Amino acid sequence: MENILLRDKVAELEGYFAAGGYRALKKALAMTPAAVIDEVKKSGLRGRGGAGFPAGLKWSFIPGDAPGPRYLVCNADEGEPGTFKDRELILKNPHALLEGMAIAGHAIGAASGYIYIRGEFAAEAVKLEKAIAAARAKGFLGRNILGTGTDFELHVHRGAGAYICGEETALLESLEGFKGQPRLKPPFPAVKGLFASPTVINNVETLAAVPAIIERGGDWYAAIGNGKSTGTKLFCVSGPVNKPGVYELPLGVTFKELLEKSCGGLQEGKRLKAVIPGGSSTPVLTAEEAWLVKLDYESLAAAGSMLGSGAVIVIDHGQCMVKLLQVLARFYHHESCGQCTPCREGCGWLEKLLNRLESGRGTKKDIDTIVSVAENMMGRTICPLADAMAMPAISFVKKFRSEFEAHAAGRCCPPDAPVKH
Amino acid sequence: MPKITLDGKILEVDKGTTVLEAAQAAGVYIPRYCYHPKLSVSGNCRMCLVEVEKSPKLLTACSTECADGMVVNTASDKVKAARRDVLEFLLINHPLDCPICDQAGECGLQDYYMEYSRARSRFPAEDKVLRQKRRALGPHLMLDNERCILCTRCVRFCSEVTKTAELEVMERADHSFIDLKAGKTLDNDYSLNIADLCPVGAWTSRDFRFKQRVWFLKKAPTVCLGCATGCLTEAHHNEGEVYRLMPRPNAETNTWLCDRGRMAYKSLRAGDRLVKGFIKNGLIDLEPALREAATRIDEAKGAAAVLGSPWLSVEDNAALALLAAAMKTENVCFDFKFETGIKDGILINKDPSPNAAGAALLKAARGGLGLDEFRARLNSGAIKLVIAEARAAALLKDELKASGARLIAFATNRGDIPAGAYATLPYASYFEVPGTFINYQGRRRAVEPVVAAPAGVKPLWEVLNKLAAYSGASLRLDSAADAMKGME
Repeated sequence: MENILLRDKVAELEGYFAAGGYRALKKALAMTPAAVIDEVKKSGLRGRGGAGFPAGLKWSFIPGDAPGPRYLVCNADEGEPGTFKDRELILKNPHALLEGMAIAGHAIGAASGYIYIRGEFAAEAVKLEKAIAAARAKGFLGRNILGTGTDFELHVHRGAGAYICGEETALLESLEGFKGQPRLKPPFPAVKGLFASPTVINNVETLAAVPAIIERGGDWYAAIGNGKSTGTKLFCVSGPVNKPGVYELPLGVTFKELLEKSCGGLQEGKRLKAVIPGGSSTPVLTAEEAWLVKLDYESLAAAGSMLGSGAVIVIDHGQCMVKLLQVLARFYHHESCGQCTPCREGCGWLEKLLNRLESGRGTKKDIDTIVSVAENMMGRTICPLADAMAMPAISFVKKFRSEFEAHAAGRCCPPDAPVKH
Repeated sequence: MPKITLDGKILEVDKGTTVLEAAQAAGVYIPRYCYHPKLSVSGNCRMCLVEVEKSPKLLTACSTECADGMVVNTASDKVKAARRDVLEFLLINHPLDCPICDQAGECGLQDYYMEYSRARSRFPAEDKVLRQKRRALGPHLMLDNERCILCTRCVRFCSEVTKTAELEVMERADHSFIDLKAGKTLDNDYSLNIADLCPVGAWTSRDFRFKQRVWFLKKAPTVCLGCATGCLTEAHHNEGEVYRLMPRPNAETNTWLCDRGRMAYKSLRAGDRLVKGFIKNGLIDLEPALREAATRIDEAKGAAAVLGSPWLSVEDNAALALLAAAMKTENVCFDFKFETGIKDGILINKDPSPNAAGAALLKAARGGLGLDEFRARLNSGAIKLVIAEARAAALLKDELKASGARLIAFATNRGDIPAGAYATLPYASYFEVPGTFINYQGRRRAVEPVVAAPAGVKPLWEVLNKLAAYSGASLRLDSAADAMKGME
């Protein structure tokens, strides 16, 4: 099927416009906000940042009678290890994001929006700034859009490198100039978000899908995909495959299809061991579990994992699962904001346990402690960062216990792993 | 009003009440570190997790509002396990240096560990994160980051109560630590409240630390006499010594206590504490000092004056009024009109004295001059001798000097005596004797003795009784309360 998001020759305004760009905005501005929200609800579009919350429903939470400003925020703080789709989307199709934001702004009554972009994405931030300037010059953004009297100002804000700022309320704190730490909820951003005003926060990919939905209708979009997982999704495939990269495919595509048809299969001589299907924080699947699983919200949940951000990390038999989990633990330990006790202390503890095991100093008891510490972190913190550490930890040990036990017995890695101690 | 079921009990609460508050009101204690009733809810320590029916996750009682029909369980196995687990997490990087920690005995970690955990550590000591050990931060506080559990009460206190915002959590994850923001010093007027707020041994009082193990301390309620606010306080003492003053939180006056108020006990054992009399600059026993003062009073006859004091109790002011009556002088004044009101938006009053309202009772009952009139008579030379409490006398120190009138002063500490006082007589502090004070809100508060006065130092009413006797009069006082006869 044709790509909705990753299209060629639309990186600049001229190309985007020539391909029918900004027609959806014109159409949306002629609709009532409620009608726009209904259309998005009808499309079944769900949050592409990881949680999969229905976008139209999220928009409808903005209280209609609330006085004062509302804000639209685009979460472009793409930080989940393994995820690199938003960057690609911004570079290849920035105007789809801007148009989507202008439409969303109209739908929720926001006259200004922010794109909070990961600090490392310098070129992407420049790209967005230029795209915004071009769109403004044509009257697609700014004051009195297309002569309709609707205003929508868009600002790009670069983050400073914290993973936690991808969590929506930490992002808001950071955007307001404070230390990026998640807020207690409730109140939810729809009631009290940016600058204590009603706010919608959507991922880049979510917002970029909106113009097509408005232009071609929610029903059209809902027909793509699998059941409640509608539309296309960007999958970021990394690992020992022949063609790693970002692929746009309808939700519900099997892992096998993604691997073999899009990515050209595994590199020669590699055997599939495991797959992390939705970014580093989602539970790992064994090769058997992953092979025929459909990549959509429900199917992956049924398989005991999550679609997450669509970052498919392919792991072959040459990789040591203990080492991989150690790398993840180092990351989450480094990125825990330190606010909640279980996450602050637990992430560091897990890293230390894994350091021991990986270096051959660990014991069998340490393996059980890893699971126990991870379980004690789960669901007991303000934001899901603790879960993001705990879920891979528990699933790695549960599904690849023999490798952990080999480490504890001093044998370190499984036979065809390259790491020697 | 929402009705909730908490541990089987049905509670009806006001809208907006949190589960923790509802439980507290019903006598169910939910452990907490970061929660404090007078600070914003941060919900970060995770100690107050409770089970709420229909919620898949445990919820923080401090931040969860009661909703009608909510069923809360604060004692389920899941809750108990969560408390044990949070304590384990809090303790893994804690130095466990209780034997040398001044917080021991009143430490949230010790108490909760005994109450909710008693588990053996699974964490190797060599893996502990090391942080900066104790260092002085500001004039009153010591910070040991290694003991800190990052509850952020101190940070929130400084940003929300004093609004001075000196503190911040630096860094992230388990290398987080509390520190001063660049360019700040922790010298606000309320900094010692941080030592009280800190549930562990991270913040300790530089004044109190290592002076006394807390389990030896006895607690006596008292009232701060540092200004007209009249904060309720608690004196912690042992074997006749006061070691620290703490606020006694109450709805009327104070949750906190200012640093100056906390240091008030220091005057008891200060180097300038008066235990003998002074004539000019020479120390002299009380009896000869009284005799000398009485002689001068007799000399002055009708030109003698008595000045009440807003630093004295109602009873001692009444005794002064009786003395004036016995001396048959009309030069008497109980009129101290300070501007009152909280001057910093927290506790410190514009009126620096604790009992101007109490002195006013004497003016109402016994009459006397207005302070300006008294001042004018002093200036005119009509007054040759003034009998006054030292700090009240200090209000008129310029007039006293200019007029050359003799001052017979009563003082607890030498530092209070205005220069040029002719005689000074010691009296017992209100940590040592009872008295009644009326604060700026008109609240009457009885102060009870906490410790004994130094040998030979008498309550003021007794000093006045003796002084009158040396002048051949009798005030007929057997107690402070006697002075109040006929007044109420």
